[in-house]
Amino acid sequence: MQFENVTCPHCGILCDDLSIDVNGSVLKPVNALDKHCMKAYEDASFEESTLFSPKVDGENTPIDDAIKKASDILKSSKQTLVSGLIADVQSCREAVALTDKLQGVIDHANGPGMIANVAVMQRHGKVKTTLAEARNRADNVIIFGSEVLNQFPRFLDRILSPKKSLGNNSTINKTITIIDSQTATTPKEFNQKNIQYLKLDALSLDSIIQNLQRVVHTNPELSEQHDNDTQALISIYQTILNSSYTTIVWSTGLFDKNMAEQSAQALTMMIRTIMKTHRCVGLPLGGSKGEITANQVATWQTGVPLPISFSTGAPIHDPLLYNGMSILENKEADCLVWVATYSPDDTPPKTDIPTIVIGHPKMKLDNNSAVFIPVGVPGIDTRGLACRTDSVATLPLQKIRNVDLPTAQDVLAKITGML
Amino acid sequence: MAIKLTGGEVYDPAHQIDGVKQDLYIVDGKITHALPDNEKITQTFDLSDCIVMAGAIDLHTHIGGGKVNIARTMMLEDEHAHPDYGNDIRRSGNGHIVPSTFTAGYRYAEMGYTACFEPAVLPVNARQAHMEMADTPMVDKGGYVLLGNDDFLLNMLQDGVSQSTINDYVAWTLHASQCIGIKVVNAGGIHAFKFNQRRLDVDETSPAGITPRHIINKLSRAVHELGIPHPLHVHASNLGIPGNFKSTLATMAAAEGLPIHLTHIQFHSYGTEGDHNFSSAACEIAEAINSTPNVTADVGQIMFGQTITTSGDTMMQYFGHEHASPKKWTVMDIECEAGCGVIPFKYKDKSFVNALQWAIGLEIFLQVDDPWRVFLTTDHPNGAPFTSYPHLIKLLMNRSFRNDVFNIMHVEAQKMSNLVSMEREYSLYEIAIMTRAAPAKILGLTSQGHLGEGATANITVYKKQDDVEQMFAKPSMVFKNGTQVVKNGEIIKTVTGVTHVVKPDYDNAIEKPLKKYFDDYQTISLSNFKISNDEMVECIGSEVETHPCKN
Repeated sequence: MQFENVTCPHCGILCDDLSIDVNGSVLKPVNALDKHCMKAYEDASFEESTLFSPKVDGENTPIDDAIKKASDILKSSKQTLVSGLIADVQSCREAVALTDKLQGVIDHANGPGMIANVAVMQRHGKVKTTLAEARNRADNVIIFGSEVLNQFPRFLDRILSPKKSLGNNSTINKTITIIDSQTATTPKEFNQKNIQYLKLDALSLDSIIQNLQRVVHTNPELSEQHDNDTQALISIYQTILNSSYTTIVWSTGLFDKNMAEQSAQALTMMIRTIMKTHRCVGLPLGGSKGEITANQVATWQTGVPLPISFSTGAPIHDPLLYNGMSILENKEADCLVWVATYSPDDTPPKTDIPTIVIGHPKMKLDNNSAVFIPVGVPGIDTRGLACRTDSVATLPLQKIRNVDLPTAQDVLAKITGML
Repeated sequence: MAIKLTGGEVYDPAHQIDGVKQDLYIVDGKITHALPDNEKITQTFDLSDCIVMAGAIDLHTHIGGGKVNIARTMMLEDEHAHPDYGNDIRRSGNGHIVPSTFTAGYRYAEMGYTACFEPAVLPVNARQAHMEMADTPMVDKGGYVLLGNDDFLLNMLQDGVSQSTINDYVAWTLHASQCIGIKVVNAGGIHAFKFNQRRLDVDETSPAGITPRHIINKLSRAVHELGIPHPLHVHASNLGIPGNFKSTLATMAAAEGLPIHLTHIQFHSYGTEGDHNFSSAACEIAEAINSTPNVTADVGQIMFGQTITTSGDTMMQYFGHEHASPKKWTVMDIECEAGCGVIPFKYKDKSFVNALQWAIGLEIFLQVDDPWRVFLTTDHPNGAPFTSYPHLIKLLMNRSFRNDVFNIMHVEAQKMSNLVSMEREYSLYEIAIMTRAAPAKILGLTSQGHLGEGATANITVYKKQDDVEQMFAKPSMVFKNGTQVVKNGEIIKTVTGVTHVVKPDYDNAIEKPLKKYFDDYQTISLSNFKISNDEMVECIGSEVETHPCKN
C-alpha cells in the first residue's frame, strides 16, 4: 500500500512530500529522497516474521514484566537521568512527566549542541525567519558551511531553489553564497549558476563570522588594504545592503564547540545592526535528532529549556550542571532512561549504571542494558507530532504500518504510573 | 448523585439575577435549580456569606503557541524566581509572567477561571498552540486564528475575488486550525514589514496593493456572513503610537456597522496633546464604543512591574524594541502567514507614559457605559500577567483605592488624566457581566458564563470579604463541570478542559486554489496542514467541542 504526504522526521526540515510503499513490514520510498530518509526507512524495514521482544538483562521478557522491572529500578534510583529524547512530541511529554515524578534530570542526547542558540535567545533574543518565508521572500542567502547542505540535503532543493515564488525573479533565482573555512572539505561542485562558493583563508567558520560582524559594525570601504577574507566579506555585506531580504543560514553543530555560542551571538548582533535599515533574518538549522521537539515540549511544560533538573520539586534549567553527558561522565546519576525511537543507531552512551532503553525496535544493545523495550517508530508505526527546525511548524507523523509494537508514549506513561 | 449549593448570593447577569439568595444543584456536571425527583443529594455546601458566580472566562490571554515558548525562554529569571512545586496531584512548573502550561492552568483555576482563549493562533503554529493548551489543565480553551497578513488572503483581495470566496477561505481556516474565532493583527502591517515597511496606517496602501481598511472590511463581513458568533477580533494598526486613536476609530468604521471586537484597546487610545506629545484619547474611544453598538472591546490594562510583550505585530514590536527591558528582543517572520515579536518590558509608575497608559485603561473601563461590551483583560502577559485581575477588579470597584494608587504616580501623568474625577465604581453584577456573562455571549458559549438551568456546572464561590482583591484572588470553591477542583484557593483535584471551536459551512471548492498555493509556495502539504478532530484527541490531547454558527 502506498502512503502519500508522509512526513520524514529524520532531519530538522521535516519534508512531508514523501510517498512510501509499505509491503508487509518493508518500507520503500517511492519518490526521490535524501540519504537520511533512505537510510531511515531501510533501517525501519524488517522481515515479516521478525519478533521484537522486550528484554530484561538481555533475556526476552513479557512487556508488562519489563515495565515492572523498569519501574522497580526507578523506584530505587536516587538520581535518574532521562535522556535521548530522539522522539515525537507525545513521547517527550511523557518523558518530562516521568522525570518530574522522579525528581530527576532530563536532557537531550545532543544537549550541548542545542545550548548555543538557546543561550543567545535568553541573552539577546533573535531575528529569525521560517522555511516558507525564506523560500518565498529571500533574494539573498548566505550559508555558513557547505556541510549544512550535506546535513540538510533537501534544503537547497526545497527551500532555496523554488520553481515558483510569491516574490519575483530574484526570489526564485536567489543569490546564494556558501562560505567555508580553509579547513573545510571542498564540496562537490554546485551546479546552479546563482550559487557562489567562497572558501576563505580563515581556519574556522567562527573566525569568519567574527570578521563579518566587524565588517557589518564598521562598514569599511572595499580596498586592497584589507586581506582577502575581509575584502570578500565586505562584498558580502554590500550584497546584503543591495538585497531586499537576506537570510543567513547556519548550524551551530558546525561551529567550534567552544565558540558556538559566541558565533551564534555574533550572527544575531550583526543581523540586528543590518535590521536598522534593511531586512535581514537568521535561519539556524538543526533538530535532526528531534532536538527542537524535545526542547519545545520541555519548555512549555516546565517554563524552562533543556537540560532541566527537578531535584528541588520544581524545574531548574542549567546548561552546565545538568548536561546529561557530563552527569554520566561524572557518575552523578545512578540510572539512565534512554528514549530513542527514530534510528537503531541512536544507542545509549556506554555506562555502568542500570539503563532502561525505550527504543527503535532494531536497536542492537549490549546486554548491560537492564531493560530494553522496543517501541514503534513515530511516523511509521505510530501517529505522532514533530517540531521543525524553525520552531514554528509542527507536522503530523502518520502511522503507515501495522506492527505489534507499543508506543514509547504508552510505555513511559505506564512506567510513570507505577511509581 | 447531586451536589447542593445552598444559601449563596447569586450573581447571574445572563438571567438578570443580581445578588439574590438562591440554591443551585449540580447533577451530572450540569446546573439545575430544582432537585430532580430521582436524584439524591450526596453533598451539601452551605454558602451563607458567600457570593456565587459562573466560572470566569478570559477571552484574550496568550497562553499557548510558539511566541509563548520564546517568551518563556527569554524570561529564565522570572521562571526560576517563581517555582511551582508539584505534588501527588499536580505537575511542577515555573513562572509568574509567562508560566509553564500546567502552572498557568492551576493559577487560572485558583482564581475561579474555567475557560481561557488564546488570541493569536498562527495557522501553521496551530498544532503547537493546541498542544500547549492541551497541557494547560483545569480550564477549557479555544483560539482565534490569525488572518489578514497571509499572502493567500492578500492575493485574493488584490485579485478582487468575491466575498463568498473569502468566506470559504475563512471557514476553511477555522476548520483547518481548530479555532473559534478570527483575529487580525495590524492588518497588512506584518506583511508590509517583510518588505521593510516600518509603519502602515488604515488607509495606506500596503506592498500587497491593498489597505488595512479593506482587509478589516472583508474579514468582518466574512465572519458575519458565516454566522461565527465571535466578531472579528482586531488588533488595530499603529499599536502604541501617540495619536493612534484615529487609526482605532478608522478601524471601527472599516467594519461598516458589522460586529467588530477591538482588542487591548488601551494600547490604541493615545492622543498627541501635552508637553510630551502623548495624551489620553480614552474619552474619544469610549464615546465611539458607546455610540457604535456593533463595537466591543477588551481593555488590555497595564500594571506596573516586569512583564514581557508577545505579539504577532512584528512591525510595531520592532518599533518598540528600543524600550525593551531587559535589553533583549525577538522578531520573527512566519511562513507567509504572519510573524511574532517578543519583547520584555517593565512598566514603571514613575514613567509619564506608563502611568498615563495605566490611567487610560481605567478611563476606558469607567467611560464605556455598557459592561456587556467591554471586557476585563490585561492582554496577558503584554499589559500584565493574568494573576493581576483581582487587583484590577479592586481598581474598578473601589474609587478611593483607585485614586490613592493614582496619587503616587508620575505627577505630569496625573495632570493629563481626569481619572480622579470619575465616580463610577463597578458593582459585583457588572464584574460578573464582564468576566462571565459577556465573554460567554460574545464567544457563543451558550452553556457557559451563566448559572441557568442546564448550564455547564462551572461555578466559582467567593467568601464575602471587604477587600475584593483578596476575595477574587482566592475563591473558596471552584467547580469545573460539576467537580470541585479548588478549595480555599488551592487545587484539590486536577481536570482537563476541552477545546471550543466553530466549524462554519463552506464550499470545499476553495481547496482547489489552496492546493495550488500550497504546492507552489508552501513547505507543508495541504493535507498535513489541516488538523482533524481525531488528531486533536489522539495526538494533540484535547477533546473538541463544536459550537453552532448562527447560519
